[in-house]
Amino acid sequence: MRFAFLCRDKPEPSNRKIAIIGAGPAGLSATGYLVCHGHEVHIFDKLPEPGGLMLFGIPEFRIPISRVREGFAELRDIFGVKFHGRTKIVFGNKPDEGDSFVDEFIEFDKLIKDFDAVLIATGTWKSIMPKIEGGDLKGVLPALSLLFKIKCARLGYISWDNITPLKEKTVVIIGAGHTAVDVAIECMSLGASKIYMCYRRTILEAPAGYHEINFLKNRGVIWYELSMPTRIIGENGNVKAIELQQCKLSKPDKNGRRYPIPIENQFVTIDTNYIIYAIGQKLTPPFQQDIDVKLDDWGRIIVDDLHMTSREGIFAAGDIVIGPSKVGRAIQDGLYAAEGINYWLMGEQS
Amino acid sequence: MKKVLFIDYNRCIGCETCQSICEFIHRDKPFIKIFQTSTGLSIPITCHHCENAPCLNICPTKAIYKDEDDAVIINTEKCIGCYMCLAVCPFGIPSFDIRIGAMNKCDMCADRRKRSLAPACSEMCPCVAIFFGEPQALEQTIKAKIAEELA
Repeated sequence: MRFAFLCRDKPEPSNRKIAIIGAGPAGLSATGYLVCHGHEVHIFDKLPEPGGLMLFGIPEFRIPISRVREGFAELRDIFGVKFHGRTKIVFGNKPDEGDSFVDEFIEFDKLIKDFDAVLIATGTWKSIMPKIEGGDLKGVLPALSLLFKIKCARLGYISWDNITPLKEKTVVIIGAGHTAVDVAIECMSLGASKIYMCYRRTILEAPAGYHEINFLKNRGVIWYELSMPTRIIGENGNVKAIELQQCKLSKPDKNGRRYPIPIENQFVTIDTNYIIYAIGQKLTPPFQQDIDVKLDDWGRIIVDDLHMTSREGIFAAGDIVIGPSKVGRAIQDGLYAAEGINYWLMGEQS
Repeated sequence: MKKVLFIDYNRCIGCETCQSICEFIHRDKPFIKIFQTSTGLSIPITCHHCENAPCLNICPTKAIYKDEDDAVIINTEKCIGCYMCLAVCPFGIPSFDIRIGAMNKCDMCADRRKRSLAPACSEMCPCVAIFFGEPQALEQTIKAKIAEELA
């Protein structure tokens, strides 16, 4: 990926320094735009390598690892972009747990002092988890963190011993979007013996599309449509089974959408080792305390026409602004934010 | 020298990077667009710059021509907006641009090619689904890639 697709060579330096928090699609495309306008860019990310979800979430068979790596190598070697990996930007708050890769913590205020502009592009990393009976049992997993760990192992950052053992295991995947499909394919390749996929509507409504679900069915995935988890049954703290409520679809509402309606007293129980939730991502604003960056009711960062937040000189882009979305949307948002930063820094001469 | 913009539909994951980049460059009017089919497949639709281009052949004002890289280009000054090009295009590509009052479409990033840059969609596609180059070199790349995957 040529993130710096707008130019070929490094232009005259502008003597402006920009810090970008988050090296995913939005952060990297913004970087590409900014270096083509002569700015010095430093990217900070808590992971050891740039790429964000393109590298650490989306499986290799969809986006080749080499493609993302080549893209960043050009930014680094031709345009002098500095990547500060394993580095977390903290907002006065205590470090979170589980930042296992992080070696260094940098205060947000220090970043503001050291740079002419700051772009927040930290994305959406938290999986939505159910609030049902048994939801806290061992073996109930968020899809993204499983995909993340698998990718970390494939990239050589952690040992395969740290991955939930899937060989000869039964897995129930909840959801029918792209993440659910990716998890199913990874479970297959890691030797799961039985894979169920449960969705509350039918194959025709599946967000990943009929084609992908059918592909999985042909590969042996057991497709349970019109079923909703009601409770997870445990044994000694581990998952033992899941109970699913059978549903039927309502008549289409005025938007043409059909909703699942539970059918009274119709339940199915499936014995399983793991339950993997792939029902979407939650927004994760990187700050816990008020740093004068305003959020909307959904937790998204509010930005103006230049992609500037409510705080002067602090910009935001990607999923953190638009909500969980496709790679392309994040890339475009990063470009528009970079355009805004350039205009804000350089004015009419930009 | 003839250049080709080839899309390998099998490699496309529907991430819409091509469309987003094209939209960014062309200010809200992307010339490559991803369509979700009723079976749930994502198909990028854009001009194929055909060798024997029906649009070029049928245009009554000869507004469509091929440039030095064999890209099929609409001269918007000559275009009368009669839609004949769209009528014969197997991919439904030419699109009436209200802002200029003429048909318009992908020009294989003509401005970029003048600066020795490849079309933006091909440079940014995360999945290597969009290939650009001279026919022989491009076919060689694709075959080598497939050999790599078969191994």
